Amino acid sequence: MKILVTAKRVVDPDSKIQIADTQTSIELDDVDFRVNYFCENAIEAALELQDEHDAEVVVCSIGNEDAIQTIRTGLAMGGDRGILVEAEDEVLDGDLVARTLAKLYEQEKPDIFLLGKQAIDGDSNQVGQLLAEYLSLPQACFASNIDIIEDGAVARVEREVDGGIETIDVDLPCIITADLRLNEPRYASLPGIMKAKRKKIEEFELDDLELDTTLKVVTRSMELPAGRQAGVMVSDVDELVNKLKSEAKVL
Amino acid sequence: MSDLFNPTDEHRQLREMVRAFAEREVEVQAHEFDKKEAFNHALFLKLGELGLLGITVHPEFGGSGMDATAATIVHEELSAVDPGFTLAYLAHSMLFVNNLAVNGTPEQCARFLPRSCTGDLIGGMGMSEPGAGTDVLGMRTTAVRDGDHYVINGAKMWITNGCINDTELGDVFLIYARTGDHAADLSSFIIEKGTPGFSLGQRIKDKLGMRASPTAELVFEDCRVPAANRVGDEGKATLCMMRNLEIERVTLAAMSLGIARRCIEIMNAYASDRKAFGQPINRFGQIQRHIADSYGEFMAGRSYVYHTSNALRLESAGNRLDSDGVKLYCSTMAKNVADRAIQVLGGYGYVGEYTVERLWRDAKLLEIGGGTIEAHQKNMTRDLSRLPRIL
Repeated sequence: MKILVTAKRVVDPDSKIQIADTQTSIELDDVDFRVNYFCENAIEAALELQDEHDAEVVVCSIGNEDAIQTIRTGLAMGGDRGILVEAEDEVLDGDLVARTLAKLYEQEKPDIFLLGKQAIDGDSNQVGQLLAEYLSLPQACFASNIDIIEDGAVARVEREVDGGIETIDVDLPCIITADLRLNEPRYASLPGIMKAKRKKIEEFELDDLELDTTLKVVTRSMELPAGRQAGVMVSDVDELVNKLKSEAKVL
Repeated sequence: MSDLFNPTDEHRQLREMVRAFAEREVEVQAHEFDKKEAFNHALFLKLGELGLLGITVHPEFGGSGMDATAATIVHEELSAVDPGFTLAYLAHSMLFVNNLAVNGTPEQCARFLPRSCTGDLIGGMGMSEPGAGTDVLGMRTTAVRDGDHYVINGAKMWITNGCINDTELGDVFLIYARTGDHAADLSSFIIEKGTPGFSLGQRIKDKLGMRASPTAELVFEDCRVPAANRVGDEGKATLCMMRNLEIERVTLAAMSLGIARRCIEIMNAYASDRKAFGQPINRFGQIQRHIADSYGEFMAGRSYVYHTSNALRLESAGNRLDSDGVKLYCSTMAKNVADRAIQVLGGYGYVGEYTVERLWRDAKLLEIGGGTIEAHQKNMTRDLSRLPRIL
């Protein structure tokens, strides 16, 4: 079995985020980066399947050359090898990312392509779905549990949906996107970090993949959310009810 | 981040991993174990799973095979959230594990290191005595050869990991003892819990800080230790001791760095947020001095520590001037930074909930343990007297 899994490099949400002077991107100096949380869940799921089904786990990322560090993290956690497609964030949108990953699928032919359900920076939540469409493969998004059944022919996936859990079976090969509750990602142990040094990472330029790189989505502007307004102290319950009726209009 | 602090990509990944682990799993228990004065054994075992307990040990013996800078990084990162727990880690992984890895025979390493790297054995080291600290060659514990054994008599004091709770000894120790009449006739021995004549003396309670690391007195009464447990040649242990003191002092200095960094982060965040006289208090010169001086001193200390660790070779002695120097500078620096953090936070800084109170208590120990600052001043001045020019 072979599993292809994504490791997107994103700005650490604990960093102080500032909008660049162009108003169309984030200021990337002086912020920390990390592996997208949902991708970490996807990698952990891939590694659990690696243990159970003797699968090869290939960790891939699309980004600038620093994204090699997120791939290394995936390899230090236990991935077998890596693929980096070099491209700056500005020249990408969700659709182009999906079409790039489709090329990697054609090249690697994995049994399962695992992704985070979304990236915590753009929050677009569409790459897994688009990828399944482009490849005409079944998709199981927002997975909270994955079991491989019927001798590796079918993935039984539990999905968190409004009000409960939906269980679906999808034939392999398939696309699965990971939700936070799928698992508790392991740390990259120190021996893992040392071993990852010697693991192979293949590198491509986006241009090598002969894709139409016209973007379908262009960021026009970014702005910070408006600051919260100060609260108001009310003197009694009557005044509160009155304000809820006349000002907030919720009663 | 500068390359000085993360000289290779592996060092950077190690720092990221330890920081994530510290923030997620170490921070949450720090206050409780400080209050209880208890050692968190379960958390210690997790360090083994991450490959941190045998960080400098060759993979052949179950270690991770990394260098002094890797050990420095781990101590800085863990100490930023829990210096007490980190001290127990240091006593095990530097004072016992690294010491044996560097000075032990392959047979001794094979017997003790694999189980020490997983945490199945908890180790420590015994040098100080009730009546001998800085004057280490004044130690009075003796080891007398008797056939295939040595008979050990004496006591060791202030031993971190000497016990793991109120009644139970730690598992295994490197103990220095006198094997001749000359002041420097010292040998070191591996002594295991359960050896006849070896017992737990006082459990040291009510410490000011570092309360999550257990401290005890070890007592030896006609304790018979197999000669195969002697580490190095008889009477030649001072070199082993000096070699290991260097990494001990650099990692203790790294613990001070962690304390200082955390205190600066806390006072910086508080001073940006807290208002007085209609503006955040970091607009006031008195507060600015606390924050800016602290950061400058921290970065000076941090640069000195990593400059020294990057040059430190674990298998050889010869960095004493700077391994004493980093601990001399950083221990007092961190104590002062913690003190300023309390001052900036005012009443909040004085109570446990805001963490700097604990860090201030922990910071003080580093001016005493692993060499008092007076011992560092003595050593450094002696070394400097032979060094007419500083290159």
